[in-house]
Amino acid sequence: MLANVKTTLSGYVQYRGQGHYIFLLHRITGLGTLLFLAIHILDTAVVYFAPSLYAEAIALYRSTPFMLGEIGLVFCLLFHGVNGLRIAYFDLFKPGGWEKHNANRVMLITLIISILLWLPAAGVMVYNLLKFNFGMFGG
Amino acid sequence: MSETTRKVQLKPNYDSIAWKWMRYSAILLIPLAWGHILIQDVLVGVHQIDLNYVAQRWAFWGWRAYDFFLLAFAFAHGVNGLRQILSDYITAAKWRNIMSWLLLFFWLVVSLIGAVAIIGGVRMP
Repeated sequence: MLANVKTTLSGYVQYRGQGHYIFLLHRITGLGTLLFLAIHILDTAVVYFAPSLYAEAIALYRSTPFMLGEIGLVFCLLFHGVNGLRIAYFDLFKPGGWEKHNANRVMLITLIISILLWLPAAGVMVYNLLKFNFGMFGG
Repeated sequence: MSETTRKVQLKPNYDSIAWKWMRYSAILLIPLAWGHILIQDVLVGVHQIDLNYVAQRWAFWGWRAYDFFLLAFAFAHGVNGLRQILSDYITAAKWRNIMSWLLLFFWLVVSLIGAVAIIGGVRMP
């Protein structure tokens, strides 16, 4: 298994095709979201199993590193969704989109749509971070 | 260029069903998960969230149903995605089998904990 991991990781580094990066990004954003989700289900379940601990869990989420992570999480979720819709669209209606010469453009458009959706959300979250954790904007 | 199309009927197996459910759940997760982060992370924000907030939200059964669907579809989608990724690295049938069972167990335990909390609701200390 370790040999498999090694082969795969070196393959990731050596691969030169553009389509591979968006494939990797889909996996990384998916794994990142899953990691957060597992933690989030358990910390929310505290409201039933140990409600007195909930304030501590929330305090952790209000810390600066977690708020920055949250901004990243929103990007992961948006990109994973936009790219997932793109994959389904190509599979069902536009198989030509999978052609190799399109890969660069496809990645660029998917990233631009994701970033455009993310920027307003990130703006609000950065505002909240500066307001509540750094006392700006009268926070 | 002329194209020949042919239809192939495959007997559904576990992986073809799982693959379809990745797509079905994905369609549902776009409104469910995006809506959830838009409301909780952007519009409300983590500084407004506390035990009272969760209690008020869950006082309406519709939000409990929303969270229940989100839990069911998002976590299953994620754990099955993890299974697909791990299958790229774990190729021996025996270890794939063990990995799948472990993930099923992990999915079941975490889902049950989440489901009990949604159904049980907030217990004010």
